[in-house]
Amino acid sequence: MSDSSDIDAAISARLLGDATLMALMPDGVFFDEAAQNAQKFVLISLLDEHDEPIFGARGYEDALYLVKAVALSSSGANVKAAAARIDALLEDQPLTVAGYTWMTVHRETRVRMAEVDDVDPSIRWQHRGGHYRVQFSLGS
Amino acid sequence: MSILAGRYGQVAFDSGPASPVNPQVIASINTWKLSLKTNYEDVSCFGDTNKVYVPGLRDISGSYGGFWNSAELTPIHASNLTTPGYLQLTPNSNEPTFLFGGLAYLDADIDCSMSAPKITGSFVAAGPWVTP
Repeated sequence: MSDSSDIDAAISARLLGDATLMALMPDGVFFDEAAQNAQKFVLISLLDEHDEPIFGARGYEDALYLVKAVALSSSGANVKAAAARIDALLEDQPLTVAGYTWMTVHRETRVRMAEVDDVDPSIRWQHRGGHYRVQFSLGS
Repeated sequence: MSILAGRYGQVAFDSGPASPVNPQVIASINTWKLSLKTNYEDVSCFGDTNKVYVPGLRDISGSYGGFWNSAELTPIHASNLTTPGYLQLTPNSNEPTFLFGGLAYLDADIDCSMSAPKITGSFVAAGPWVTP
């Protein structure tokens, strides 16, 4: 049985399980939206996904994830180091997911931006990471 | 009968066909095309008001394609056969009696780029074919 959500979970677990990254972004790893009051965290979003068909089945799943370190500017977080660590953990690093065979994980686009806080315009959030292409074929 | 989805197409091959043939589905394939074009001889004569043709032989050929899969080497091996195998093409496996098949020679191409490697090939008839 192949469950696409297990791919999400594998990416999250890879990041959460790294002590170096968690030391840089101690508030954790979140999908789409961070916990309230989080100031130094990793955010994952599924930007795009395509299932490539073969006759009678799904051949492979092709997903594009946004994976980035996000930190409050005043928090003193090192988003540069965090983004580099994310890349080291993901780029060309095989992931194991039940029911799938890993094909690739690689960055397609770098992401770096500063965001003005919606509530308090004096606050800045730093974002740094990338768009990662993740492909898994069906079957172990 | 209604229009059916393309998802359940099949390409199957028997490299050493005996009677009965036993074509095995080729894995990781997602497209096939079959051409049943007949050539026509121009037999127009003086006085005809338009060109007139008579049919010659129907030419059976086509192509298939999908993804490279190291566990499925049938297309590669088929491309090197000196005697024809039995090729069977099914538009939709939910209608297994509607199929096209016959002796054929296959070739294969592999296309490797930064996306998933693809395999494609073509075939030509090497004997009489059955059609619906």
